[in-house]
Amino acid sequence: MSNEEKKTTPPKKGGLGRFLFGKRDEKDIMVEEQIQGPWKTVMKTFFSNKISVISLTAFLLIAAIVIIFPMFKPVVLSDEETTQQNLAPGRDFMKIPAGNYVKIAQGKSFGMGITEDGKVHSWGNTRIGRVNLSDIPEEVQKAKIVDISVGIDHVLALDDQGKVYSWGNNRQRQVKLPSEVEKMTGVKEVHASTQVSFIVTPDNKVIAWGNLNIFDYMASHGYDGQIEKLVVSSDAIFGITTDQEVVYLGRQKGFISTSAPQGVKIVDAAPTAKSFAGIDADGNIYTWGLRTYRGEGNVPEEIPGKPVKITGGRYHYTLLLEDGSAFSFGDNYFKQTNVPSAAKSDVKDVFSGYYQNYAVKEDGSIVTWGLKGYLMGTDEFGRDVWVRLMNGGRMTLTIGAVAVLISTVIGIIIGGISGYFGGTVDLLLQRVSEMISSLPFLPFAMILNALIGSSMSPDQRIYLMMIVLGLLSWTGLQRLVRAQVLSVREQEFVVAAKSIGVKEGEIVFRHIIPNVISVIIVSTTLSFAGSMLTESTLSFIGFGVQPPIPTWGNMLYGSTNSVVIQTYWWRWVFPAIALSLTIIAVNSIGDGLRDAIDPRSQER
Amino acid sequence: MVKYTIKRIIYMIFVFFVMSILLFFLYNKIPGDRAMQEVFPMRERLTPEQFQRLYEQTRMEMGLDDPLVTRYQKWITQVLKLNLGMSERQHRPVIDVVIPPMKITIFINIFAIILALGITIPLGIRTAVRKDSTFDRTVQVLTIVGYSIPTFIVALMFIYIFAVKLRWFPVSGMNTANFTGTGWAWFKDTMHHLALPLTIMTVTSLAGITRYVRAAMADALSMDYIKTARAKGLSEKSVIYSHAWRNALLPVITLIIGWIMSIFSGTFIIESMFSINGMGRLYIDSLNFKDFNVVLAIQMFYVIIGLVGNLIVDLSYGIVDPRVRIDG
Repeated sequence: MSNEEKKTTPPKKGGLGRFLFGKRDEKDIMVEEQIQGPWKTVMKTFFSNKISVISLTAFLLIAAIVIIFPMFKPVVLSDEETTQQNLAPGRDFMKIPAGNYVKIAQGKSFGMGITEDGKVHSWGNTRIGRVNLSDIPEEVQKAKIVDISVGIDHVLALDDQGKVYSWGNNRQRQVKLPSEVEKMTGVKEVHASTQVSFIVTPDNKVIAWGNLNIFDYMASHGYDGQIEKLVVSSDAIFGITTDQEVVYLGRQKGFISTSAPQGVKIVDAAPTAKSFAGIDADGNIYTWGLRTYRGEGNVPEEIPGKPVKITGGRYHYTLLLEDGSAFSFGDNYFKQTNVPSAAKSDVKDVFSGYYQNYAVKEDGSIVTWGLKGYLMGTDEFGRDVWVRLMNGGRMTLTIGAVAVLISTVIGIIIGGISGYFGGTVDLLLQRVSEMISSLPFLPFAMILNALIGSSMSPDQRIYLMMIVLGLLSWTGLQRLVRAQVLSVREQEFVVAAKSIGVKEGEIVFRHIIPNVISVIIVSTTLSFAGSMLTESTLSFIGFGVQPPIPTWGNMLYGSTNSVVIQTYWWRWVFPAIALSLTIIAVNSIGDGLRDAIDPRSQER
Repeated sequence: MVKYTIKRIIYMIFVFFVMSILLFFLYNKIPGDRAMQEVFPMRERLTPEQFQRLYEQTRMEMGLDDPLVTRYQKWITQVLKLNLGMSERQHRPVIDVVIPPMKITIFINIFAIILALGITIPLGIRTAVRKDSTFDRTVQVLTIVGYSIPTFIVALMFIYIFAVKLRWFPVSGMNTANFTGTGWAWFKDTMHHLALPLTIMTVTSLAGITRYVRAAMADALSMDYIKTARAKGLSEKSVIYSHAWRNALLPVITLIIGWIMSIFSGTFIIESMFSINGMGRLYIDSLNFKDFNVVLAIQMFYVIIGLVGNLIVDLSYGIVDPRVRIDG
């Protein structure tokens, strides 16, 4: 580090009357120091430099945001959601165009709605992979659509004649209608799910097409002719018979198939990702299927009214109560169960899907709640980049700060001892220091993290990282402090302290070190930037902090291939900007401080 | 001078052994049974008794049951004979594994160094001469930005602009796949592939060296002999280039020597991002595949490079500047 080599003479303590402070005119630096005291001069010079002030403000702002934000929104490490992968930045998932909606279907990042006149409208991020679902076929635009259902990347629609339409991604042939369906009219229901399509025929049979290998559906379920309605989650299917019985239509016998309520008449049912819920005519709620830790299967004891309709999102349910209010329960990570007060009266109908809810009111207006979208998009595991950026920033700053703290303490102690005592102690410590500084930094940090870290838990690896960074980077500061101590130790105040019998340790750390503090501050600031840089470099090549714990460095891990660089730009642009800005700010602060402290730069 | 050099070399040997002990013990902290790894593929073909015998025999051959000190002695004698063991991943002697990437790394770095020095030295001199001008201040701000932005972010930006958007340069490798040309054609193809990594390496090293050259030059220009030279009525050109620059050269040369030593170690980030089979990439891959013989060899090599580099820098002070006298 060439910029640390520059030596500064320690400011001398001035003690003349401070009543003159404020009247700054062209004076010699020594005179001014005597009037104002060295620190005032330093501060004044520092704050008169525009770049320093901007940098300081920027850094404090960034630090405040990344420290405060994670307190409200900590990153959930197990948070992986396949349906939310690689979504572009946007807050328009629920930006529904005005209209009198009769049915709304919510997809993973977009919505599709039918208005009273049978027109299909779409909103949100409709581009899924190579297809854009807002390219609604012409025949659909002409027809009067009454029912619509969206899967991961395809859409099924039904017109008033009971004819089925489909569009979207046909890779698993989920869009290509079977010939019998193509001609069929009077179809009762359409359901699109993960790469599969289901319909209920006029004679109460189920027809399925698409990728049935990954979907648990058995064509010979034995309920054909009795099915009135379907309830389709992301990987399981139940039917509701004409007798309002819940029947299982899948292959796998097990918990899911047996957990459905027996002997109750279900009037309405809805799926989440893995679970199902139904209501009977009396308003009792039954849940079955796989309930995840997110708690969507736990029905609250108190429901303020009798539910008449139930809809399901990814991990929550929303009920329409008899008194015309909406009620949500289940996972609330995206605030999808915080029903706004506007949706607590005069609600005509509710629709939910994924993390979004829509309540259509009597006057036709629509109230929405839940996830509006992702400010900075999502990554390859469906995690919110913004949340990870904030939490990662805190981690990056913390690791940098702790590493610098360690290296500063070691540097001061070793430099102080070495410079003050000299002789054999000095020789020995200098050899150790030389040894460490002759180690190539990055490879050695990598080998330490790889060898020691391989048997550690992720949390321990973070501490290891801080310690390794701290232990390898104190040598520069040590040299500076030693040189300063050498130049100070023969001065009168040290001799005076010695003569009145102050202990040697006290002389070094209470009398000498405060006199060289300016060097230490500059060096600390610059090596704080250096530590963050090293940490992110190590994390970037996979030898630092391991995912899923985010840091700005490892958020960029895996974004070297050109597909990510081009198509999923938000995955690398935001962390890159945050990291660069922070390091630039810290380095500018350090530079400004050095200029302010170094009297040579103030030759005016 | 000779006495000092001998002293330093003895000290270097001492440090080398200390580091080798440290690394060896670290290396032996790695969990895992290397003998079992070695014989495990034979398990299906042998009876349990035979297998057990083979396993114990292998353990003995590898010396895994000896005390650590004995093992270190064995290992270090082999290392000193340049017998660095076998690469567990490539099943070849470590030396053969390490030499080809080193050639590539040196080849790339020589170009990067020439490019970087060609830009930074004139820039550093100009900014120092026109100190505190708008030009100087702009360059100062740019260099802070330059050394603050991590290499991998610069690389990502360059890939985005020149490889993805403009499609001027390929993103990986040293040559087109199955390329067979020689001579000029080979050079052209290689340079086309290396254009992007070379540019990035140059750009990322600009900032630091420019600042260094500027500081050295500014120091030299503030000296009294410059005032004397100007007072004598020498032309500004001659003041800058023959009086100031010659004196500023001292710290710059030591920096450059230290820097040249680093060309052997390669650049981890750029080599792994552009799939260039250099030393840095070999090191990362070997660490990832737990090919520790290679890792250890490269690490020892780095230690030697570091020590020799320090020695050369210290000695060069004395050689370049006759005023500096080095003695014990």
